[in-house]
Amino acid sequence: MKILALNGSVRQNGNTEILLKQALMGAETEGAEVEILRLTDYKIQPCRGCGLCLFRENVCQVQDDDVSFIFSKVDACDGMILGAPCYFLELTAVVKQLIDRCWILGHKIGKIKKPATVLIPYATRGWIPYVSVQSNVLLNVMGLTKINEATVCTQGISEVVLDEEAMDLAYGLGKEIAVAIRKKDFNYKGEAGICPSCHDRLLRILKDHETIECPTCGVRGKLSIFDGKINVRFEEKAWADSRFRPDVGYNHFTYHIAPSKDYFLRTKEERKMKTQKFKEYLTK
Amino acid sequence: MTKYFAKLRYYPGDPLEEIREKDLKSFAREYGVKISYEKIEKREMKDGLLMERTLDSHIEDISQEVITLSADQEDNFSNCIIALYKKYRCPRTPYSLLGSSEAGQKIAKKLMNVHGGW
Repeated sequence: MKILALNGSVRQNGNTEILLKQALMGAETEGAEVEILRLTDYKIQPCRGCGLCLFRENVCQVQDDDVSFIFSKVDACDGMILGAPCYFLELTAVVKQLIDRCWILGHKIGKIKKPATVLIPYATRGWIPYVSVQSNVLLNVMGLTKINEATVCTQGISEVVLDEEAMDLAYGLGKEIAVAIRKKDFNYKGEAGICPSCHDRLLRILKDHETIECPTCGVRGKLSIFDGKINVRFEEKAWADSRFRPDVGYNHFTYHIAPSKDYFLRTKEERKMKTQKFKEYLTK
Repeated sequence: MTKYFAKLRYYPGDPLEEIREKDLKSFAREYGVKISYEKIEKREMKDGLLMERTLDSHIEDISQEVITLSADQEDNFSNCIIALYKKYRCPRTPYSLLGSSEAGQKIAKKLMNVHGGW
């Protein structure tokens, strides 16, 4: 049983790394073979948006970096622990950089589901509204199923070791994912949250002012107030729209993305003519 | 040819609910527009999913449901589009209005931003 920790923090022996290592120590007690990668030690070029991974089927044009190596590590593991700090409302940029490079994985179907856990240290309560968005997206496009996540309030470098509860939590999450792999139980074990799919608490109010949507999953529901409390209701049929369902993801790439090649080719001459002035503008 | 003419191309999974011809006829009556409907189905079941190769296909040829509407009056045309967007939400891709007249496309596109369902 192999468990991989991906560290989205640049700091060596910082809070993220400590929490991840603590989780891996917990996983080892359950028989896991563990490994940790600090994403910032690897070269992750930005996605060029060329679309050739889709149009030429699985060939990424960015070859001079380490993303294939990272993907191979994710492929080889049985479960993953993602750790990243929250510096400014969301996870660090390297996580997003990796998400963008996951395009090449996005249109694959039949990805083998593996469990994953997320650990997010942050400094100020209330300044982490978007942290689950990136972790949910990354895990989903990599074919991982989140079984738990934890945010830990801590600040200065390595200070998390002073927080016994947080250290126990991380250790327990490491054990938990190893047990989940062994038992093949990928059910979510964390706090329920609001969205029954990604368990985040973010909601988007649509322009009809009647419908709400989980911005990550794209699942729609309704709000109501009962006894002074906000109730969120997602109808069962709405789950058919969850963007992380295999058929929804497949349809997106098959019908929204792939046919754009036809449009792109049809408009070639017109685009060429109309883009000329931009090529010449502000260039020397 | 009518002044306002639009083709709304919905791909699998795009409409919020099933597009039924009887509902479209009802919209046509209510808003005084002409509506026709075409369904193109090229998907085949494979590995538990309805699948189709679309990469080298023409946009008009891949699986989709096309609602074509036309009207001479801008209000009728716009109101019907709003009603369609409200029921099914709007088509989703940059080329999902392909085949529309310039005037029709302009209206259908503009209404997407406000009434498109997002």
